[in-house]
Amino acid sequence: MNSIEEKLWDYIDGTLPAAEQQAIALLIEQEEVYRNKYNELLQLNSEFKAMELEEPSMAFTYNVMETIRAENAMKPLEATINKRIITSIAAFFIFTITAMLVYVLSTVNWSIGGSEFKIPVELNLKAVHLSNFFSGPVVKGFLFFDVVMGLFLLDHYLRRKTVAKGQ
Amino acid sequence: MQSKLTDIELIEQTLGGNQAAYADLVKRHQRFVFTLALRFAKGREDAEEIAQDCFIKAYRSLSSFQQQSKFSTWLYSIVYTTAMTFLRKKRLDTDSIDADESYIQIESKPSGYDEYNVENKSRSYYLNQAIEQLLPDDATIITLFYKGEQSLEEIAKAMGIEANTVKVKLFRARQRLKDKLERNLKHEVNELI
Repeated sequence: MNSIEEKLWDYIDGTLPAAEQQAIALLIEQEEVYRNKYNELLQLNSEFKAMELEEPSMAFTYNVMETIRAENAMKPLEATINKRIITSIAAFFIFTITAMLVYVLSTVNWSIGGSEFKIPVELNLKAVHLSNFFSGPVVKGFLFFDVVMGLFLLDHYLRRKTVAKGQ
Repeated sequence: MQSKLTDIELIEQTLGGNQAAYADLVKRHQRFVFTLALRFAKGREDAEEIAQDCFIKAYRSLSSFQQQSKFSTWLYSIVYTTAMTFLRKKRLDTDSIDADESYIQIESKPSGYDEYNVENKSRSYYLNQAIEQLLPDDATIITLFYKGEQSLEEIAKAMGIEANTVKVKLFRARQRLKDKLERNLKHEVNELI
């Protein structure tokens, strides 16, 4: 009996191969047992299809969205920073360091014949004077910007600490 | 009024930062997700909690949705795992409950039968009653197949099982549902006599 029902359900669902589908259709037409069972299952099938979905409370969507909003607000700033920005900053530094290294290594006189190895003039520490680096408006501007940024971050950090203590 | 945009368009807008688009997605799928949750939880409050949890989980991992399946299939797989976790947790909790308390719950159920006459009860009332008496897995398969517009393959994906297993389970679930429906109707007739 079960196999008949199983076949009939498959027939109703349309999951049988075409040849079997035709064979079952023929059986339903010719055999009364099949026809009765088929009609019974067909009625059940339409009842199952007409089954009604349940309705959640009116505030359901609002509750979901409020939870999401609250979660987003609690996310720390670091987590919201775009990863692409961090990657491009890292790439910039790697590129700068590599370029400097390549430049420095290309200026080195590699012909080490006895005492012929010479440090390039740019790298000769004896010739380096600190005043050379800290002169010029661009460098001064850069240093000033660094100091301001440092103070801004310190202020930001202290504010966050005060808020955390208050909670 | 619900949005006319497709699920995928709403997802893209949500990922672009438009939270209202996600609210539309929730509105669109909430009835089905809630019904599925109800198949596991039985109580409306618990079902609502499960359903809300599912939508929040889906929002969190929306960017990982590959669009290889329908959004609904992906969402139902979240519902299924969340509800299963809920059921496991619930089972652990109820293990400690006194047997008397369970008896009271079972006793209190038939009292609802006296509230209506059989004439007033529609066939869909008995169907819902029979579905409630099914095991969560059976009720879920029936709901997914008939109301979720999901194929056997999609149900298999949502439940993490083989499509053939779904076919067998669906057949058995329909059998059990039919038996329960007949038994409930017979019981109702006997009550009247």
